[in-house]
Amino acid sequence: MTTLIILVGFALYLLLYFTYGKKIEKDVLKVSDDNPAPSEKLYDGVDFVPARKEVLLGHHFASIAGAAPIIGPAIAMCWGWLPGLLWVWFGNAFIGAVHDYLALMASVRYDGKSIQFVASDLMGKRTGTAFYWIVFFLLILVVAAFAAIIGGIFVRTPAVASSYAWKIGAALILGVLMYRLKMNFAVATIIGIVMLMLAIWLGTVTPIKASYTVWMWVFFFYIIIAAAIPVNILLQPRDYLNSWLLYAGLAIGFLAAVFTFKGFEIPAVSGFAPVLLGGKPTPFWPAIPLVIACGSLSGFHALVASGTSSKQLTKESDALPIGYGSMLLEGFLSTIVVVSIAGFGYTALLNAGVDAATVNMENWGAMFTKASAKVKMGGANLFVQSYADMVGASFLGFISPKFLKVLAGMWVASFAMTTLDTTNRLGRYCLVEMASPLKESATGFYNFLTNRWIASVIPAAIGVYLAASGNWLIIWGSFGAANQLIASIALMTGAGYVAKKMKSSFANVALVPAWLLWITVTAAIIWFIFAVQIGALAAKPVPGWTVLVLLIVMLVLNFVFIYDFIKSKSYKLEA
Amino acid sequence: MKFSIFDFLRTICTTIDKTHRSNVCALTVTEVEELQNVFALLLLGSFIGLPSPPSFLAVELLPYMQKELEILNERAQDANDKMAEMFGTLGIG
Repeated sequence: MTTLIILVGFALYLLLYFTYGKKIEKDVLKVSDDNPAPSEKLYDGVDFVPARKEVLLGHHFASIAGAAPIIGPAIAMCWGWLPGLLWVWFGNAFIGAVHDYLALMASVRYDGKSIQFVASDLMGKRTGTAFYWIVFFLLILVVAAFAAIIGGIFVRTPAVASSYAWKIGAALILGVLMYRLKMNFAVATIIGIVMLMLAIWLGTVTPIKASYTVWMWVFFFYIIIAAAIPVNILLQPRDYLNSWLLYAGLAIGFLAAVFTFKGFEIPAVSGFAPVLLGGKPTPFWPAIPLVIACGSLSGFHALVASGTSSKQLTKESDALPIGYGSMLLEGFLSTIVVVSIAGFGYTALLNAGVDAATVNMENWGAMFTKASAKVKMGGANLFVQSYADMVGASFLGFISPKFLKVLAGMWVASFAMTTLDTTNRLGRYCLVEMASPLKESATGFYNFLTNRWIASVIPAAIGVYLAASGNWLIIWGSFGAANQLIASIALMTGAGYVAKKMKSSFANVALVPAWLLWITVTAAIIWFIFAVQIGALAAKPVPGWTVLVLLIVMLVLNFVFIYDFIKSKSYKLEA
Repeated sequence: MKFSIFDFLRTICTTIDKTHRSNVCALTVTEVEELQNVFALLLLGSFIGLPSPPSFLAVELLPYMQKELEILNERAQDANDKMAEMFGTLGIG
């Protein structure tokens, strides 16, 4: 079954790329290499420089791939393996990848301007301003969600914490070798990879044990310091080592999934509304986008696509593999996650101490989330163990299980940690932009808010506090809500661009999923507020109210946006 | 054109090498750009009222700064639209 699903997924993505993707390219966006891309039109040898599509694809994919395509599908196992997989396959190809592609092309056609700029142009300045607010809240929730995930991994598998610490040392050394000593690139890379493997091994022999609260404090200071130091000292070399972890994790996972030939241990479908977010029955629709984000659909990607990728595109036809193709690749990563947990997750739970009478095929939907959380095998930890077991059961079984477990843990933790300090830098920027109206009217308060350290502390403090004190599944759902809200706005913007500027008679190919997504995300947020968040207020009022206020503000901005969208008539073709 | 497996493998290796070189520099390039902006402002800031080098020095440097001025002008137009670029460069993941 593992082999079958992986191969079916691979074939399906290929088929949809060459059929649906090409249709959007030809009929909806009317892509033509006769239209000069920004890198040609505005070429200056510095900011607008064409890059080969393979290089850009590698860079774009590394930018969008992270921990979320792993965590989301792992959590979604409560519905059984099939529903989440269908969302990863079809939600990705018909909504998520379309969203990424449209955002990239709209930016290309706007000479490399961001999706936020395009939204402002099509819908009005208010939409552009709303972006900053929603993104800022999203960044706080990202810090909260990912800090909670990493904290859970470090507590359950202390070797991962130690490996990460050793990896930071390796990154510092690599930075010196590459940027100070200017060592030969290939030689430095090999040394870096060796140090990375050494870090993983050292982690298994020198685990760092600490409580969840201690890790929250560590993350708080780490985020602030990492976001303040020059990038060539730590961030750049660390991110470079991360890309090798990604390739290794993907390659090993793919080979193991294909050559394991294992049946699935969990039910295909456990029910429509199993117990999940906030301990409440969670309906597949509309909640699935809140749970599975990056593997299928993610608002972040629109910002990444319209950030650097659009400026470096050599020609318009390169946008299909980069925008559409890289999202399908990320969906394939999520497919590997589903396969590993479906094939090995139940055994992992039993080995962790879950009783077969407590969780079985009959009561999977009702008991999976609670039982896995009780033995600290929810989400990331379940994937880490399942991945290690899957690789161990394949022809790669000669690799030490401890090493594999730490490799998988490092894969998730490294990307999550990267996201933490990245979001802090971005949060600082957003705060400065949001505070700009106060520059003249409240200069003292403006200077305080935009102070480099204060602007760093605010998102870090709120995010880590939520992670430390809240139910992490509620935080994950909130993060998903904010992320998909951005996706909804971005897809509407892309669809509006197609309808208003392209005047394509196939505009409905973009408009229909855009409207479906907006309705789904809005329904999901409303459901989440009333069914989950309000019920969580009594247990933990401060974090509960913090998240509730963020969600309500974002929901209001969502309705303001759709009002502007309809008013702008971007939703239909002009005569 | 005859397909050659060696050319194909060479292309793959070259692409992988270029991709990794791009990945290993992306963030550093962004920091360099910021420093370039500061450098340009220091040199030519007197034209916009900054107490930078005396005007006669700035005027003397002007012919050598044409390209920098063009780039700075482009960047100034995009200065309010930096969020997406930061997302792309930093790799939110």
